[in-house]
Formats: sequence, C-alpha cells, structure tokens
Amino acid sequence: MNNGARAVDGPVIAMRDIVKTYKTGTLEVPALRGVSFDLARGEYVAIMGPSGSGKSTLMNLIGCLDRPTSGTYHLDGIDVGTLGDDALAAIRLKKLGFVFQGFNLLARTNALKNVALPLFYAGVGVRERDRRAAAMLGEVGLGDRATHKPSELSGGQQQRVAIARALVNDPAVLLADEPTGNLDSQTSEELMALFLQLNRSGRTIIMVTHDPETARNAERVIRVRDGLVVADESKMRI
Amino acid sequence: MLRQVGPFVGEAFGVLADNRTRSFLTILGLIIGVAAVIAIQILGKGMAGAVTGVLGSLNDRSFYLFPNQQQADFTKASFTVADIDKVHAAVPNIVVAFPAGYVARVVTAGHEHARLGISDASDVAFARVPLIFGRNLSHDDVASAAHVCVITNVAFKRLFPAGNDPVGSSLRIGERRYVVIGVEGPPTQGILPIKFGGDISIPYTTYEHDFLRSRPLFAAQFIVADVSQIAQTEAAVKAYLRTLKAGRSEYQTFDRKTFSSSIDGIFAALTLVVTLIGAVSLVVAGIGIMNIMLVSVTERTREIGVRKAIGATSFQVLAQFFIEALLLSLVGCGIGLVIGVGVGWLVDRFALVAISGVVPSLPWLQSIAIAVGFATIVTLVFGTYPAYRAARLDPIEALRYE
Ligand SMILES: Nc1ncnc2c1ncn2[C@@H]1O[C@H](COP(=O)(O)OP(=O)(O)OP(=O)(O)O)[C@@H](O)[C@H]1O
Ligand SMILES: [Mg+2]
Repeated sequence: MNNGARAVDGPVIAMRDIVKTYKTGTLEVPALRGVSFDLARGEYVAIMGPSGSGKSTLMNLIGCLDRPTSGTYHLDGIDVGTLGDDALAAIRLKKLGFVFQGFNLLARTNALKNVALPLFYAGVGVRERDRRAAAMLGEVGLGDRATHKPSELSGGQQQRVAIARALVNDPAVLLADEPTGNLDSQTSEELMALFLQLNRSGRTIIMVTHDPETARNAERVIRVRDGLVVADESKMRI
Repeated sequence: MLRQVGPFVGEAFGVLADNRTRSFLTILGLIIGVAAVIAIQILGKGMAGAVTGVLGSLNDRSFYLFPNQQQADFTKASFTVADIDKVHAAVPNIVVAFPAGYVARVVTAGHEHARLGISDASDVAFARVPLIFGRNLSHDDVASAAHVCVITNVAFKRLFPAGNDPVGSSLRIGERRYVVIGVEGPPTQGILPIKFGGDISIPYTTYEHDFLRSRPLFAAQFIVADVSQIAQTEAAVKAYLRTLKAGRSEYQTFDRKTFSSSIDGIFAALTLVVTLIGAVSLVVAGIGIMNIMLVSVTERTREIGVRKAIGATSFQVLAQFFIEALLLSLVGCGIGLVIGVGVGWLVDRFALVAISGVVPSLPWLQSIAIAVGFATIVTLVFGTYPAYRAARLDPIEALRYE
C-alpha cells in the first residue's frame, strides 16, 4: 500500500563514517565519531544508548535537519550531502516523516489541519488535502477526532495525530525520537502496537528510545555510546 | 510563485483571526495614522476649494497700492486724489485709478437702520458677485458722481428684511440719500474673513466728494488694461509715486498673484506638516507591527521549527510571516481609510460647506492609493525583517526552543 515506486533498490539509508562535531565557542563537542550502517526497506530499528550518547544527533542527521561534519549519507539512493537547503526541505517533505517526543502539533489548529500541513507545503489542493488527511487519521484510529484541537486530545491521541502527520506524504522512512517519552506505560503500549502495525503494513521505522520495553517490537537494535555504534543486533521479535 | 503564495493568505488569516485582540491592537496605530492623513488630505482639499472661492472675487486686472508699513513715518506717506490722478496720467496701462476708501456709518432705509461699511468702486470690471436685483455701477454713474449705490446681500437683509426688490428706493447716510440700483446675491464661495470693500458701494467720484474731501489717503486701487504687464505697471506706479514724494516714502502693491502665492505658501507648509505627521505615524505604526511580528516569531519559534522539520522551505516560512504582516497592514489601512474618509467627509459636509457653500468632491482614488501605499511600505520596511528572522531559524534549535 505504501512505499510505492522508489528510484533505487537497495538500502533506503546508507551512512558511512558519519562524524558530527558541535562547536560551542572554542570548545568542540564530538557527538558522533564515525557511524556507519545500512537500513533496508521495511525494517524496524530501535536506536538505544545512554543519555548524551548521540542518539538525537544521529536522528537529526538521518532526518536531514542537520548536516554531518564529515561522512556520506545516501537516502533512497540520493547523496544528501550534495543537496542545498531547499532540496533538503523537499527531502524532509517527501521522503521523511518525523515524530517528536513532545508531539509538536500546531496548538490552534485542529487534528485534520495538522495532519494536512505537509500536504499544504507539497502544494496539494485543499480538498485533496482534507481527504488524504482524514484517511490518514482513520489509519491511526482517530477518524472521529478530526475537528478536535490538540488541547482537546489526550497525549496518546496527540501522538497519533503527529504520526498521521508524519505519514501523510507517504515517506520512505518514519523517524521517531523518544515518541513515548511523554506518555504513560498504558498509552505507550498502545502506541507501540500502532508502530508495529505500521511496520507490518510495510513502513520503514527508526525509533530512538531508552526503554527496552519500547524497543521490544523492533527487529533490530543499534546501540550507541559516546558517538559510536557499539552493537548492531538483529533479533526475533518477542 | 503566486500559486505558492496564494494558500498562505488563508493560513495567515486563520492565525490572525485566532489572535483577534492582539491583531487589532497591533494595527491600531496604523488605523489612526492612515485615518488622520486621509482626513487631513480631504480637509485640505476642502479648504483649498474654499480659498479659491475667495480668490475668485479678487480680479486679475486689479491691484492695491499702500504705503510701505516698515517706514519710519507711515503717515507722511499718505497721498491725495490728485496724486492718484497724476500717477494715472503718467503710467501707461492703467484703465482706472481711484482711492480705496472705507467708512462705517449708520445707514437708514425707511424704518430700518444699521451700521454698515461704505466703500467706493468703479464701473470697470472688478469681479463681481452676481446681482439678484438691478444693475452695477455704470460709467455715467462714475462720470456724473451720481448718488447711487450697489448693496451686498448682507446690507440687503438688514435694511430690507421683507426681501422686496429695493431698486429705486433710497438709503440715507448722514444727510445724503443714495438710490439703490443693484443688490448682490449671497456669496457662493469663500470662507476666509477677507473682505474687499464694504457693504455699500458708491461711485468713487461720489465717495471722494462725500466722504474723502481733503483727507489723506492710505490706499488706492488700480485696474490695468493688459494683465500680462501688471507687474511692470505696479513697479512703475511705485516708482512714480516715490519720485512724487521726493524719495522720502516707499510703497507696496498687492495683487491677486501675490495674494495667492502667499496662500500657496501657507498650503505648502500645511502639506509639509501633514506629510511629516504621516511619515511619523507610519514609522510608529510600522515599529508596532514589527514589534508584534517579532514577538510572534519568537513565540512561535517551535511552530516554525515544526514547519521546517515537516518540509517547509525557508521561502515558505518567509511568505507565511510576510503575508501575515501584509494582511495586518492591509486591514489596518483599510479601516483607517474608511474612518479617515468618514471623518473628512463629515467635517467637509457640516463645517466647510456651511461656511463656504462649496461641496468638495471626495478624493477616493487618492485616499485608497494612500492607504494601500501605507500598507505596502509598512509591510516592506517593517514586515520583512521579522519574516526573514523566522525563515532563517535553524529547525533543530527552533524545535528545542521552550
Ligand atoms: N547544539 C549542540 N551544541 C553543542 N553540543 C551539543 C548540541 N546538541 C548536542 N550536543 C552534545 O552532543 C552530545 C550528544 O547529544 P544528543 O542530544 O545527540 O544525545 P542523546 O543521545 O539524544 O541524549 P538524550 O538521551 O539525553 O536525549 C551531547 O554531549 C550533547 O551535549
Ligand atoms: Mg535525545
């Protein structure tokens, strides 16, 4: 149903020797010190590691929100490092979907319009936007909450809206940085079920988490420590 | 690009509508500024019309002569009817020259009496108010120093309150009687309290005999044949009279052109002041809008981060904030336009028209141009920077912003 025709077969994400060094004044903070991995289409990966190990930094790079200090990154066959800002914005719009810990919905805007926002930037007409956004809300189980504002939704529901928003442009990869970090365990459970369901229907998912419970559904875990990948293990789903 | 920008208008409208109170307060300065400038523009037009009305009653072909007020002994610069006749004889291009006299007397007509101004006039074309009864002074009236008069509408109302045609009846001033030969209609234009002549005009020859006798003169009026030579004629008259006074007295002349250029000067100054006020209010209103837009950008930093993370380009973010500023400005200037035109129209209608009788046309196009111009300038100057700030935000930092 998704992940339609892609430019290239092969890994959807290919990172080679990615280094990211933050400069604060004269101080240089090495956040990533040479990270390499491939990600195949349809995978469900959890990135784990202690606080400050560089997980969010890695996610920002994968999400094309930031550029590495060195190293190459191919997304869906495209060498992202060669792209300008507007081309990166287009990549974020079409090929990536972001889910944040803090939901980050537009507060004054109802669920439907929040989900439709990426379609707006993609230049889709208003009718088509609403139609597709409504369908997406249905897919995350919120078909009946379209006109609710974020303040009228529970945390779990808000995160579902955010997931619908991330998926509405049918991206190659869904990125989630601690998506359950602000949710209670019951709601996290429900959200994990949703991620699993999305993965089973073909979505590629990368999720950052501290919590082994949350990582349970992932078929692969990449462990990061001090800016390096220290373990990359595939496993059977429990 | 237009297709890209189009949908942002709806977005921006939604955002502004969600913050109605703040949006309104933001544009209040703009509303007041635009309203003031447009109202003053309209009033200025009305005033200019009224003043042109007054000037219409001053003749192109005439000028006044006075002793120069700055000289040490002003009274020594007086002249006589004989002096005027000498000037007339010596300087070419003069049709008539006669004293500009004015006296106030009690005037009686039947049982009515009133204190009115009496002045002298000639039969030659000084621009006149149209008559409602009778005729103007004729050459014969002047030549024979006839005891006749033309009265203004003011004198007519006071002396003949019944409103009947008074032509043929006589007025008594002191021991003398003057037959009314004409009555002026009400003045159609003019608001400035400048009045040339009294309420009762009699031939200048009659005036010289009845009121002037050997009294010294301080003013004379001249009518020229060739208007294009009026400046030279004025110079020649001044020069001749100074020579006549052995160089001890200085004179000045005053014609419609000098009068209207001094009025023009006043209006130029007024326009400058209005322009300055407009510029100041534009800057103040613009700073208000810039301030609010900057606050809005800061407040919505996270939102901007989200939009960028989702895939909005910098241009799309710029467009969003720029269009919000533009909408604010347009709405503010639109409201200002309506208020300004409304106030200007009311004052014109009920104050100026009542005094001057002139109904000025509303400068609609000009007002709209001013309003739209304001909006565009304010947005360009003060909306661009906040929009640029928003567009330049780094998405990661924006997302981290609390
Ligand atoms: N903008 C920045 N400027 C300077 N240093 C930074 C910046 N962002 C991150 N860092 C540093 O880079 C390192 C990695 O940070 P990162 O946010 O990627 O960690 P993380 O694994 O996501 O941690 P957490 O689990 O607490 O979210 C840290 O030492 C952090 O202090
Ligand atoms: Mg993190």
